[in-house]
Amino acid sequence: MKHFVTSKFRYILYLVLVAPLLLFIAYAFSTRWFFPQPFPIEWTMETFQHVFHDSQTIPSLAQGLWIASLVGLLSLILALPAARVLGLRKFRGRQLVWLLFFLPTIIPPLSVGMGLNILFLRVGLAGTIAGVVLAHIIPTLPYTIFTLSSAYARFDENYEFQALALGASPWHIFLNVTLRMMTPSLVVAALFAFLISWSQYLLTLLIGGGQVITLPILLFSAASGGNPSVIATLSLLFIAPPVLVIAVTARQLNQHGNQIREQY
Amino acid sequence: MTTVNIISLNKTYPNQSAPVLKDFSLSIHDGEMVAFLGPSGSGKSTLLKLITGIERPDSGDIQFDDSSILNIDPNKRGAVLMFQKSYLFPFLNVEDNIGFGLKVQGASSQIIHAEVKRMLNLIGLPGIEKRKSGQLSGGEGQRVALARALVTNPKLLLLDEPLSSLDTEVRINLQEVIRNIQRELGVTTIFVTHDLGEAMAMSDRMALLLNGEIVALDTPENLFHRPRSLAAAKFMGVSTFLSGDPLIVQKEACSSSDKVFAIRPEHIRVQKDTCDQSMPGVVSDCVFRGEYVEYLVAVDGTHVRARMSMPAPMFPHGAQVFVKFPREHLFEVQNQESA
Repeated sequence: MKHFVTSKFRYILYLVLVAPLLLFIAYAFSTRWFFPQPFPIEWTMETFQHVFHDSQTIPSLAQGLWIASLVGLLSLILALPAARVLGLRKFRGRQLVWLLFFLPTIIPPLSVGMGLNILFLRVGLAGTIAGVVLAHIIPTLPYTIFTLSSAYARFDENYEFQALALGASPWHIFLNVTLRMMTPSLVVAALFAFLISWSQYLLTLLIGGGQVITLPILLFSAASGGNPSVIATLSLLFIAPPVLVIAVTARQLNQHGNQIREQY
Repeated sequence: MTTVNIISLNKTYPNQSAPVLKDFSLSIHDGEMVAFLGPSGSGKSTLLKLITGIERPDSGDIQFDDSSILNIDPNKRGAVLMFQKSYLFPFLNVEDNIGFGLKVQGASSQIIHAEVKRMLNLIGLPGIEKRKSGQLSGGEGQRVALARALVTNPKLLLLDEPLSSLDTEVRINLQEVIRNIQRELGVTTIFVTHDLGEAMAMSDRMALLLNGEIVALDTPENLFHRPRSLAAAKFMGVSTFLSGDPLIVQKEACSSSDKVFAIRPEHIRVQKDTCDQSMPGVVSDCVFRGEYVEYLVAVDGTHVRARMSMPAPMFPHGAQVFVKFPREHLFEVQNQESA
């Protein structure tokens, strides 16, 4: 009975996840779909071609990917030292440091964005990709630090001592031992940063100021236009990179899960 | 071949009041294996960290062949470590694990391949070059870790309880393997353990550590049969101490300033009838342990632990017996913590 309920619940969950996607597909590849017909009357590639031929679609897609990738990389570089200390060392005020790192997730993004906008206008970073990247790092960093510090908490420093005693330099050890052993967690942390950056609307709008156009900006603009086919097509484009990235990193995600299971 | 001199080493960790090592001095000869035996917190592992350079001492010096190594980078000291776990890199196969140190030194792939093969033959595991570390048993992993440590021809091999996580059979087998290889290569070795039997089976000399100090340093034979201090005797499993004339069993082994004599449990006789040098007692416990019987007998208000090889009589709890302390097995111990 219990199994029956859990499997039913699982299928309902799948339906909730997949249903919007099916709707997007139906809307994106059709022109006429009226109530009470269960399926569209006419299937077409017209909307898709129209969206792709729009001068803003491909640049915004590329720009968003570039920004999200940069944010992923920079978040990792910035998070690693903090995560190492938080994961491996016990010191007074550790909880306070945790709280400080998590502040960006507590403070409303609008306040952060407005403050950053004023600051970036002064230093000339407003309306630039660099400014948007820096702004995106603020909400991503807590997640990368959290993921990597958990990985460091599971990491046994004796692997590093072993390599050191065998003659390896600290830099060689970091690159060839530590990072290699933490690869699954690094991928997961980068994925978090990528996904958060990829779906950022507010910070991109505030800091980019219309100069930096990413797919969420286009999507919001299309949503206010009210054409369901265009909204659905852009939504499919918006979903595609995260799905692709998750598929490519599935092995690492699985290893990360196994490492956590082994720990408990 | 390296002579190691540890001179007046002191180390106290931040936020700790008691020092981990106190004025610690020791000389280890070329090709010698010295076992460091002591309870947790006695400073054994700290000493290894100081030698490898993971930690720095507050004062004192560590010398290899009369040259200080304290200012040499940890990765250039030539002191290799082997831990309780093999710590083989999981992303490398056996060949790459063993060849790690040589690769770091810039050796060519032909040399690495040949050396790995030589080491695998030496540890008795030829042909496993391509196996992943996860495919090795605990004993195999430790052998590969030993090969990885020795392939770089280190000045000093540091073994930090390398066998404590293994089954008894594998452990005894590896004791022989490590000892034979260490003798064959003549590498100076420090072996840290809390297992008395293992320390005696493997080392040329044993250093007994307590609270950051050496309480005894001698060959296993001398330490076992004739420990010179009270602390060393206790360490070596002696629990019966006698003093005075006629001899009486001491309630507190170090309370008296008189001459203190000790006797090993296996030399104490427990018998039904009285004789010379015996005292009456009551059996508190009598346990059959296969090769011997262990008795706990209340004598003169304190407990005496005795061990008699089979065949030996079994006594019920509360039985009246006589405990004999043969004079030829009594030895004097200094009533102070170090000797």
